[in-house]
Amino acid sequence: MSTRNPLYTNPKSCKHLEDYKLSHGLNGFNSLQKHIKTTPSGKSSVDQSQTKIPRCGFCDGHRERLYLCLICSSISCSSHTLLHSQSENGHDIAVDLERSELYCVVCCDQVYDPDFDRTVMLKHITDLPPNKSGVFADEEGGGAVRRSSKRRRLVSGLEFDSKKSKQLVVSMRDLRAKSCYPWGLRGLNNLGSTCFMNSVLQALIHAPPFRNYFLSDQHNHEVCKKRSSDRLCLPCDIDVIFSAAYSGDRTPYSPAQFLHRFALDCHVSVNLTGAGLLNGLYSWWQHSANLASYEQQDAHEFFISVLDGIHEKEGKARSLGIDNGDCRCIAHKVFSGLLRSDVTCMSCGFTSTTYDPCIDISLNLDTPNCSPTNLANKSVKPTENTGISTLLGCLDLFTKPEKLGSDQKLFCENCQERQESLKQMSIKRLPSVLCLHVKRFEHSPIKKMSRKIDRYLQFPFSLDMNPYLSSSVVRNRFGNRIFGFEGDDLDTSAEYEIFAVVTHSGMLDSGHYLTYLRLRNQWYKCDDAWINEVDERVVRASQCYMLFYVQKTLYYKVNEDLSCQPISSRKDPFVPFAGCC
Amino acid sequence: MSLPNDDNMSPHAQLSSHFFADLLDSVIADVASECHRIARLGLDRNLDEEEEELRLSAQARARVADSSNSGETNSKYVVDIFGQTHPAVASEIFDCMNCGRSIMAGRFAPHLEKCMGKGRKARLKVTRSSTAAQNRHSRGSPSSTYSYSNSTSMNRLSNGAPGVTGEEYSNGSFEDL
Repeated sequence: MSTRNPLYTNPKSCKHLEDYKLSHGLNGFNSLQKHIKTTPSGKSSVDQSQTKIPRCGFCDGHRERLYLCLICSSISCSSHTLLHSQSENGHDIAVDLERSELYCVVCCDQVYDPDFDRTVMLKHITDLPPNKSGVFADEEGGGAVRRSSKRRRLVSGLEFDSKKSKQLVVSMRDLRAKSCYPWGLRGLNNLGSTCFMNSVLQALIHAPPFRNYFLSDQHNHEVCKKRSSDRLCLPCDIDVIFSAAYSGDRTPYSPAQFLHRFALDCHVSVNLTGAGLLNGLYSWWQHSANLASYEQQDAHEFFISVLDGIHEKEGKARSLGIDNGDCRCIAHKVFSGLLRSDVTCMSCGFTSTTYDPCIDISLNLDTPNCSPTNLANKSVKPTENTGISTLLGCLDLFTKPEKLGSDQKLFCENCQERQESLKQMSIKRLPSVLCLHVKRFEHSPIKKMSRKIDRYLQFPFSLDMNPYLSSSVVRNRFGNRIFGFEGDDLDTSAEYEIFAVVTHSGMLDSGHYLTYLRLRNQWYKCDDAWINEVDERVVRASQCYMLFYVQKTLYYKVNEDLSCQPISSRKDPFVPFAGCC
Repeated sequence: MSLPNDDNMSPHAQLSSHFFADLLDSVIADVASECHRIARLGLDRNLDEEEEELRLSAQARARVADSSNSGETNSKYVVDIFGQTHPAVASEIFDCMNCGRSIMAGRFAPHLEKCMGKGRKARLKVTRSSTAAQNRHSRGSPSSTYSYSNSTSMNRLSNGAPGVTGEEYSNGSFEDL
């Protein structure tokens, strides 16, 4: 398993670079700095003379790649760099004019040095228009940015919860020893096209930090009743569901009380004649004018509404005056991340950065065979030959710089006029549980019709989110220089493991949801009341709609907790479990 | 690099093909340089793992396609893993918490809707979703992303072209505190 550092492996410099630095220190880099030309798009090149075209000292050529000697500033083309270093002793290190990369003539290879990269980056910083909320706001310790210390607190809070629940697990384990099936696995009755609800509930019941919270009784009925005179409390009813799921009773549970509460709290219509996969908003908007309503319920809409309902209740009970991103309610603690949006003026480079909290990420399906924007990050991918959509492709699309159309010029504060702009999304902070929502619907405003996109989406079981972090994206924008970007977060792993997949089958406005759960490395199909084991192949081949990933560290911890003792060969006559092991 | 055949071309064509060749060389060297840096600094993605996942998925789909072709039905189960069987419509009976009547589980939702009042509609709520940030500045986005009424499907859905980014959004709903 790769233990890649999200920062950099310190590149080994060659002997010649080391010798150069011993003799010349940083002088060469510093005197070069004023000749570095930066562009608003993050590239850098070396431009010694504004008026003359650089030419090779030996052959006078100017069409090949040219290198500038760091010691004597003479220019050689790639064919003649060696000649230069042979004629002048010790002139081994040059810089590529086109890209500001160090080149060792003797090793015939590009080499890397943190001090040089720092020099280049400082030039970028000074060249960029001054901007408090801009790209390097974090470096300056700028205002609106979350500090990593706060997030550390959140992480440790969750860990503490799981410690408490561990004790609970141990004491309950004796009772569960008879069953060799994972704890908490229980079917949910369909109450009348409520599979949209059941599918999401199954994912929530098995989301480790969320589960731990409720199982360790952190939402206490009694306290809750005393505090609020009204009996409405969505978290209380969720607590009831958890108790039911983990009670050891394997007969399907009817989440009727919860449905009732949800309908009251979230003010949604409860009549469901089908499991819809619409942009739920679309249907609600359409039907609000029509009293004889039936509505398509969308599992993703339900997911958002439930978390919102929890937040409403818990957010109020806890201390006020915190901004949304730091909310301590369990919904936000588990699912909330932070997205970063950079809008860059293409003419001056002025970047406006904004942060928005999110509890999930909705992804557009990528197009198979579309060429990756940054070829440097990929080798030839099999997908380009086989032509399937992949989750990584969707994430690439999500973080791809998007040129805003010329009809959409934005006002640049620096230029004081409307300019063409580039927009790029990235993830500033990842949540403990990452919910990825696949937008499988298309709407044609002309035809006024929506249709579902059935195209298969490949998704991995292990997901590395590092390339989509703001630190990676911003660093890539400036040429991946060795430089302390974004207060790189080392203590949170960006590696995730999948634990639940919600799938939708059928048409846009009618169909069926079900959930696949991964518990102790065995996949279970949760189809309302029916729980069955399935092979992982079935899951991989399914048409995913919502994907639930949990941080790897939390995932492995969960699997330890839930391991049970194998059942003895002599069956206990009092326990009527059939087909066990 | 192999130079184009100069003999057959006019001077203009030769010149432009030389320019093209230079540009192409430059681009190739740029890409190589970028990849080199990424590889040396250990920033490259773990392609082995990615390819393994892709391979497993492809295998899985092939197997599943095979089994459905060979007529294995995996959709109907006789018993679940606990050995239980369930009717098509959930038969558990309980009391409606709104009116007190005894209702069968599988018919509870339609009953509840009538029971709680006909045509209860979703209240318009302020939304905040992962796509709020995307909406901002995007093609055809509403001026405010924080209200249902602005975020109608007409404004926010894609024009149906594949690969178009940033335009269609499901709503998230979180009240603005």
